[in-house]
Amino acid sequence: MEHSRCYIYTPPEQESRPSKRQRTSKSKPHTDLSERLKIYSKTWAEQEKNIQITLEEADSATQGKIINFVAANAPSEDGPRISIPTGLIVAGPSIASHGPYFERLGRRITDETNSSYVVLTSGESPNLKTFLKNLIKKITSRTEEDDDDEEEIGRSATSSRRGPKLLNFDLGHVQEWTSRNPVQSIVVAIQDSEAFDTALLNEMVDLFYSWLDRLPFVLLFGIATSSESFEDRLLGKSLRYLEGQQFDVTQSDEIIEKLFCATVAHPDTEPHIGPNLCRRILERQKDHVQNIQDFVHGLKYAYMSHFYANPATIFLKYDPKFKDFSSDAFEAIRNLPSFRRYIEEKLEDGDTQSVRQLLSSDQSLFAVIEEHVVAVQDILSSLNIAAMVLTRIRESLGITPKVRLSSVWTRAASGELLDSPLLRETMLSIKKTPSDKLARVIDSLISLSAEKVGPEAEEIDIPIELQTLHCELKTLIENNADSGPLRSQDDVRSESVRTTVVAQKVLLSKHKAALSEQDKAYSEIVARFYQQLESYFRFALIDPKTLFLYEVLVYDLKSPHTEVFQPRPRLALERALATPHDYLGCGCCGNTQDRENTLAGTQPATAIVYQLYLESGTLINATDLWSAFNAIVGKDDEEEQSPTMALFQRALAELKHLGLVKPSRKKADHVAKMMWKGL
Amino acid sequence: MTSAKRKRDAQDAENTSPRKLRTQTVEEDENDSVSELEAQTPSRRGRGLLAENGTPRSILKKSGLANEFNATPKSNRRLLFATPTKAASDETPNGTPTIVRNADRSARRKSNRKLIDRTINGADSEDEALGEEDALAQQILSEEENEQARKQDKEADAQEAIPVPETPSKRPRGRPKGTGKNQLAAKARKEREPTPPNELPAHEEYFWQNRPGGSKTSNNTLTSQTLLNHDEYFETMQSYVDRHEPEKEYLLELHSRAYDQWIFELQEGFNICLYGYGSKRAITSEFAARTYQHLLDQAPYKGTKKTPKIVVVNGYTPGVTLKDILATIASAVIPKSGKLPNQTSSLLTCILDNLARDPPPHPLLVVINSVDAANLRKSAVQSTLASLAVHPSINLLCTADTPNFPLLWDVGLKAQFKFLFHDATTFASYSVEIDPVETVNELLGRSGRRIGGRDGVGFVLKSLPEHARALFRIIVAEQLALSYMDDGDQGDDEDPTATSQSKTNAPRAASEPTQGVEYRRLYRKARDEFVCTSEVVFRTLLKEFHDHQMIESRKDSMGTERLVVPFRQEELQTLLEELLLGDAF
Repeated sequence: MEHSRCYIYTPPEQESRPSKRQRTSKSKPHTDLSERLKIYSKTWAEQEKNIQITLEEADSATQGKIINFVAANAPSEDGPRISIPTGLIVAGPSIASHGPYFERLGRRITDETNSSYVVLTSGESPNLKTFLKNLIKKITSRTEEDDDDEEEIGRSATSSRRGPKLLNFDLGHVQEWTSRNPVQSIVVAIQDSEAFDTALLNEMVDLFYSWLDRLPFVLLFGIATSSESFEDRLLGKSLRYLEGQQFDVTQSDEIIEKLFCATVAHPDTEPHIGPNLCRRILERQKDHVQNIQDFVHGLKYAYMSHFYANPATIFLKYDPKFKDFSSDAFEAIRNLPSFRRYIEEKLEDGDTQSVRQLLSSDQSLFAVIEEHVVAVQDILSSLNIAAMVLTRIRESLGITPKVRLSSVWTRAASGELLDSPLLRETMLSIKKTPSDKLARVIDSLISLSAEKVGPEAEEIDIPIELQTLHCELKTLIENNADSGPLRSQDDVRSESVRTTVVAQKVLLSKHKAALSEQDKAYSEIVARFYQQLESYFRFALIDPKTLFLYEVLVYDLKSPHTEVFQPRPRLALERALATPHDYLGCGCCGNTQDRENTLAGTQPATAIVYQLYLESGTLINATDLWSAFNAIVGKDDEEEQSPTMALFQRALAELKHLGLVKPSRKKADHVAKMMWKGL
Repeated sequence: MTSAKRKRDAQDAENTSPRKLRTQTVEEDENDSVSELEAQTPSRRGRGLLAENGTPRSILKKSGLANEFNATPKSNRRLLFATPTKAASDETPNGTPTIVRNADRSARRKSNRKLIDRTINGADSEDEALGEEDALAQQILSEEENEQARKQDKEADAQEAIPVPETPSKRPRGRPKGTGKNQLAAKARKEREPTPPNELPAHEEYFWQNRPGGSKTSNNTLTSQTLLNHDEYFETMQSYVDRHEPEKEYLLELHSRAYDQWIFELQEGFNICLYGYGSKRAITSEFAARTYQHLLDQAPYKGTKKTPKIVVVNGYTPGVTLKDILATIASAVIPKSGKLPNQTSSLLTCILDNLARDPPPHPLLVVINSVDAANLRKSAVQSTLASLAVHPSINLLCTADTPNFPLLWDVGLKAQFKFLFHDATTFASYSVEIDPVETVNELLGRSGRRIGGRDGVGFVLKSLPEHARALFRIIVAEQLALSYMDDGDQGDDEDPTATSQSKTNAPRAASEPTQGVEYRRLYRKARDEFVCTSEVVFRTLLKEFHDHQMIESRKDSMGTERLVVPFRQEELQTLLEELLLGDAF
């Protein structure tokens, strides 16, 4: 089996099975795993729904426009068309999300208009001929099965029946197909227009134009750069055949921000994702992938890991009952660091009675857990809301630099926001804000509290008397005779600096302009808003890490996440070969402290050859490598070389297999070094 | 003073290079040579001459003169330190005429600058200038001598084949001050060579090991007996017991604990890629078994005779193609009725359509061992695999061996693959994936050993008709003749004094690009000797050789086809002897 290329797995003979089963079954410490996974699928399903809704919202506007465009450009009776309707879809630089985007778009176009839709990528279009072949195949093969061989056989038959046989890249096939399947338009989407050969694009446009009287083409170009640079690539002649319209797709970073808002920073989310992990996911998005799908996968994996690996997560069960939980689950809670802190706090208070109970009785622990899960969840969601409030305020005040919710949230969740300059700056500018802007702030907060994000979300609760403030402010503004907005007492504009020269010294003194009655009243409103907001932030922005059950409600481990999504295979390989002890943990090859001694004869042969390889230059003499190897591994007597040689050959072959060496023609029996460790 | 500063700079530049020791010695040398010069009045006379003539041209002339009249003080000094030539050539055997010219040119510039400096700065710089001037002249002289020395040097020509980037600035550095103490310096350097400075950062190490002329390797070659052939290898390996067996077993056990987790991850729509050193076949087959059991206990199979299907692809097998993979998957997915499309693309759409129309009760697990194997590296294969992997009804478990495998996939493919990566280092030998004997032979350019060396060729030839043998004889003879001719050419213009030792090594290295017999020429030759009468016959004969891997076909730089018998020269000689004797075969 091992030498055959591909096969369907068949289990080995009966006798070998039990032992294997033992191995896997005995290491199964997961109690209640299936129960936890059930909770996982429920919570994730909710998140996924949120994500789907957000994504569709983000897409729908532009997609709707594109669909309207396609529908509007269906050929009409009044005369032949003079140019190909062309949609320039500026989809942004994250090419990984283009594929799914065009797929979604295609689904909607075929659903909502009577068109046939094909996507073509640069990979399948090296030249015009192949491009056309693929195009024809994609348009027509939906209905008919044709194989190359059959075609060859059937050639004589078809040619006799309907005149000469068409070549397989002749658009006549499409014409024939449209005569049988009448469609409004044929939408051809070029997914990655930048990757197409310019000449091919020009030829394609010319050809489509020449068929325009028979085939109702509509072109869609996916553009990662800008429509200008796309235009620059086409010839003037081809451009004249096109009638373009630009569509801007929501850029992936904005969509991710929206997703972030709907998932991680959402007040009703449970469990929460911790700030460290979040920072990591967002950084990866920004620096490396720029891919919405990847962000979603990252989140999903975080949820999976949380419920799979943490037995205490069983307490996130909906409507928990004491009998649902095994003693192991309670034991898991008792092992949490946050439980320990909780107990220590209680001890400091001298509450030994309840400590004893918590430690000995599952029942009383359950009561505490039940209460805390809800309470902590509330605290966490108010933290999320506070982050949203702060972002909204900054947005409506128009404070620069613009700070996104994701970064505000990450700071809030790591407990850094309360004393941060960001918050201080915002609060100060609230003090100074004129009435028109304040009205905007209060309005946006009111709308935030009314907003429902997600399917079953409750209204967001902000403990500020927004409505009262709003009403008072409104009456105040209405009564204001002046055209200008009202100013608070801290507004710099109501201050003027007075310079007086006294005994040849310049005195600068600040002078407050006298406030009008209305301004005074306004200042009072500002002060109240400020105070309420401040006390709100002080209440909401706590450091969540200090909370009991933090580990259950927040997942913030970077360990499996980083390795699983950003592996460093080269490092792993180099480490395995350079210090095999790290993996093997054997007694013989240890002693990694002393670097001089690392090259021990007991190490695996490949590791030894690899370390010798590291020391050598770009060209390696295999003979010298062999003698060095033999000196380390070989026995003393010359006769018994063959086992050593066999090991050496195997090691060298493995290095070749791993791509570390390649043959060199420079000298006989030499190999060339391909990789340097640690680069 | 600019000249001194310039010099400093250059030294500094050297300082940054890993050879810290070297700069120290160079500095010492400088001191030495200065003191030398102060002690020796004659050299001052030399400077006087230079200063009078001023132009760099005169330096060249002077050097010429100095060569002619061996009596100039400078040459005296050189004679004092007996063998600068050999040491010099040892250091930089790569000196090519262009470098010399560059050095001259820079010398001209340098001396001009120095003259200007001196007139500006006055006499206080005299002493240093003197040292430099002297050293400069010395350098040019020794350069010339180098040239000669190199011609005589036997070792040097082995290095000839290594193209060394021109670094003229580096070269004059070592020499001028070093001339006095050339031997010492060279000796010191020689001693340093084998032990590179350790604890270098990775990138520094790269540059250290790639420095021009940096890699000097011996000319030792493995005797043909040293490498084991297949029989010997397997015989030895059978009795070999790895001392790390328990640890490897433990590693496997560790990985096996993750199987349940992997099953969960696959269920959730992710695909898995395993990496790390060591063959991961044991893991994949165990995991396949585990999944098989897991599925057997579940709905559509429990209590019935139906069995779940798991597709296993061995990417490392030499001839595996995309079509094989798709056909196997199709056989698992599509009910056995009707003909499957022939082309891979339509086969793929057929599979995907089937999966969409009639999704299986659970995703089909596809295990691919060595997804980064040479056969599967083509972008077409990877994108097809990706479009399979993206389908919710297909689970992919891949293993990757090479350290750079993530380069196989761009962002788009990666997003499709939806991989979770797990480190699965096993330290198990790649016993199935690779054939060590064959790989090493290929690596060392001994692929002729594939058919069992000369004996194998003999065996094949025995079974072939007379004229096939004759043709093979012609090929061997022509190839030998060609390689001798190449040797001759080389010897004439570069290496007249090559010893037999270097001769056996050199040809292979030098004649490599034009190795082998031209196809046309061989055909004519064969026709002339009445081996064959038409090209068709000729082709048929060659095909037989090809099939037994007795000859290889290569394209040279001009694009002409050349036929090569993949043996080393010594072996070819013996082969030809045996062929000529005739009775051997």
